[in-house]
Amino acid sequence: MSFLSPSDPRVDQAAVTDESVISAHEKLLGVQPDEKGHYRLAPLNVLFFLSGLIMFGGTYLGRYAGYFDPRVYNENVLHGGGSGEAPVAIDPIALGKKLFNNAACNACHQATGLGLPGAIPPLVNSDWVTGSDEKLIRILLHGLQGPIKVAGVDYNSAMPAFGRVAGSGFNWSDDKIAAVLTYIRQEWGNQASGVSVEKVTAIHAKEGDHKPWTVVELEKLP
Amino acid sequence: MKNGPLFLLGLLVTIAISFVGVVIGSHAQLGNLVPFYDDAEGQAFPQRPSGIAARGQLVYGDLGCASCHTQQVRRPDFGSDQARGWGDRQSVARDYIHQSRPQLGASRLGPDLKNFGARNPVVASELDILNLLFSGSARHPAYPFLFETRKVAGEVSAGSFLPAGKTLQSGFELVATERGRSLAAYLLSLTSGYDYPESKPVVLSKKVEGVK
Amino acid sequence: MTTASTHAASAEVTPIDRQARGPLLLLLVLGVLWLVPSGIFALLASVQLHSPQFLTDCAWLTHGRLEALQETAFLYGWAANVGLAIALWVLARLGGYPLRALNWTVAGAIFWNLGLVGGLVGIATGDMTTFSFFQLPRYVQPLMVLAYAAMAISGVLAWSGRRTDSTFAAHWYAVAALFLFPWMFLATEVVLIWLPVRGTVQAIAAGWYAQGVWTLWLAPLALAGCYYIIPKVSGRVLSSYESAPLGFWCLLSVGAWTGGRHLIGGPVPAWIATMAVVTSALMLFHYLVVALNFRGVASAPGTGATFIRFGVSAYLLVGLLEVLTSFRAVALHTQFTFIATAQTQLGYYGAISMMFFGAVYYLVPRLAGRAWSSAGLVAGHRGLVMLGVVGSVAGLALAGFTQGAGLLQATVSQGSIFEGMRLPLLLNTCAQATLLVANLLLVVNLIRTIATCCTTVDAAAGLFRPAMNLEAPAL
Repeated sequence: MSFLSPSDPRVDQAAVTDESVISAHEKLLGVQPDEKGHYRLAPLNVLFFLSGLIMFGGTYLGRYAGYFDPRVYNENVLHGGGSGEAPVAIDPIALGKKLFNNAACNACHQATGLGLPGAIPPLVNSDWVTGSDEKLIRILLHGLQGPIKVAGVDYNSAMPAFGRVAGSGFNWSDDKIAAVLTYIRQEWGNQASGVSVEKVTAIHAKEGDHKPWTVVELEKLP
Repeated sequence: MKNGPLFLLGLLVTIAISFVGVVIGSHAQLGNLVPFYDDAEGQAFPQRPSGIAARGQLVYGDLGCASCHTQQVRRPDFGSDQARGWGDRQSVARDYIHQSRPQLGASRLGPDLKNFGARNPVVASELDILNLLFSGSARHPAYPFLFETRKVAGEVSAGSFLPAGKTLQSGFELVATERGRSLAAYLLSLTSGYDYPESKPVVLSKKVEGVK
Repeated sequence: MTTASTHAASAEVTPIDRQARGPLLLLLVLGVLWLVPSGIFALLASVQLHSPQFLTDCAWLTHGRLEALQETAFLYGWAANVGLAIALWVLARLGGYPLRALNWTVAGAIFWNLGLVGGLVGIATGDMTTFSFFQLPRYVQPLMVLAYAAMAISGVLAWSGRRTDSTFAAHWYAVAALFLFPWMFLATEVVLIWLPVRGTVQAIAAGWYAQGVWTLWLAPLALAGCYYIIPKVSGRVLSSYESAPLGFWCLLSVGAWTGGRHLIGGPVPAWIATMAVVTSALMLFHYLVVALNFRGVASAPGTGATFIRFGVSAYLLVGLLEVLTSFRAVALHTQFTFIATAQTQLGYYGAISMMFFGAVYYLVPRLAGRAWSSAGLVAGHRGLVMLGVVGSVAGLALAGFTQGAGLLQATVSQGSIFEGMRLPLLLNTCAQATLLVANLLLVVNLIRTIATCCTTVDAAAGLFRPAMNLEAPAL
């Protein structure tokens, strides 16, 4: 009988039978029933390689997995030692500017701080703004009613309450009050000191839910 | 591995462990992310896309834009993303919670688009986008089927435009189709200006040595 | 000739093959035919890479859609059909009995391919899911799972009803691929389509699936063929076979974890990418075992062994590259570039497809009962396909190096990166054309072989040399 030559590219010749492929390899795993006792472990160097990889993996995970924290996007983050999230200091000017322009402030006082002539007093060149912060804090916390004289001009309109007090439509926290006041005292060429949150909190606690102030009441204050 | 059921069970366990570890694990961590409410701004971020932008995302997906554009900015010290003006901060999972099918992409044949609507220094206008989509460029394909030439009925439509070097028969105008307009609206809606707590860079006390 | 060897010779033309001829040849022909549309899509897409205005008037053929069409036709057309045929045949041969439930296989094959055609039309008209490797539109997905299960049944039956109690490595890989794919596909469908998870978790799930296609499905199918064919043609016991079970379980349990390496620096927590780095490194163990086991193929004779030699080398190379590019310091240069595309090409064309080609060349004469009709076409296909794979991988990699170096420097504009990539991308287009021509040769050869087998008397007994018994080395 003639067969195709083994070098013929059109047919690949098989050298061995299927059954013997299975049985010969099964013997190597040492689990063939007639080979009891001839158990052979995978070569030691292969196992060493595997355990080396596992060790590397464990170490690497411990160092660069960000402690499996969903908030960690940078794999280099380490706990402690100044790493991690440092409390971010809030810039009162930036926050104040945001508040001034997003809330109702700029609707009346304008983004320029110049107010509306005859109706709304300006914040620029105003002693009420750059002068005593005692008065200023109270105005923003509780509002202001009645006539007021600013930079030599008389005004008579109502300033709403912004603080977290009864009757306020804004309910701003004390730190927001402080931020906005710091902003208006240092913007548009105004150069007064900033307003601290502690001072706002102290005045808020002292006055409670005061009704809107009048100029007469305010002038008794320092 | 002679025991059939045990072998199949073993296979099933291996696939289940990886599925639970990778997919369910990350879902447990990120699946409940809520918009971040900023007290000072008085609103929550990210903001929901408008209806037309959400439709535009479907157009972006079905045209396969993601095969050349990514939508993920890497942190400033990793690659040149920031220097190219693609975004100033690492994109985080919270950026994508309102997207029905985020298009992260895996190839940067074109620029990253994560922050396309608030690019530094120049933001493309809707007209720029429509011009590019209609005419293409030396390295960007044209998508003329997103536009139609139609007879002017009454006055010329507000959205009509004429790309440079193109002439139209008088009485006709070129406008983007609804798909074209939504795609442009979607691209302009892509912004990631807001800094979430988790997207702020972390300062390390000491430089990390060795392999990253 | 002794009686034993006569019996052994007849074992090469068994009733197992004769009975499986129709269904398995159907799968093989369908699979090989899918190489043609997939090759055309690949060619068109590669032209668009350097000439973006090519075919822009046609909404069906945007670059994104062409890429989706190409990878879907390639994976679910060519690789799935041929891989299943190989796995079923290996399981039947090792099981020692003819395949059962072949009607299911035929029905499954018909519905699988019909579903695939429907899916491709859907992708072209804009219904793709946008998840890489999982682009089939949602309305054909349930059909695909059912069709796959129908096809796979006869393989699992052949394994559970095998003649000897013993198992062999080819068994494990084949059964794993047949059994795991529907589970993997269903699980992905649930979390991406039916009850979609939110935001970037979708990208993580899609990455898990795309990696699973490689490590839980196609690589096991290809390895099943290799584990069977290499000892058969070399006539020698696989070296270091004791490590094979460990290598198998390493691939299965670790492989699918490595998908996160594509999300390095992305909007997912750091541990996803770190986990991928670690598991990619663990996969080195699997590649080591494969390298040790398949040492014998270096000197094995025949057409199939030539392809498998190429495929195994590419498999090991792509494994090493996978580990290397998973590290963040390297990924910084390679991520989002054509280097990743080159790796995919090397993996799916250079490794998986070449191993499949090897198995096809070994298998078809036995199923058809005829030698391949033309030695010239065999040689032509072999030469051109190797040239095409090397050319396309080299072209893409060169383009990727230019791109990676350019992207890292913000001063290099994307326009100049694009100009720098033009030449290597042209090389890639030439290579894609070569691949298409090569596969057309295979199609012609396969059709001619089968056509003659149906018109002439079964002359298979004269084809094959008698096979010997393989002896295990003494312990």
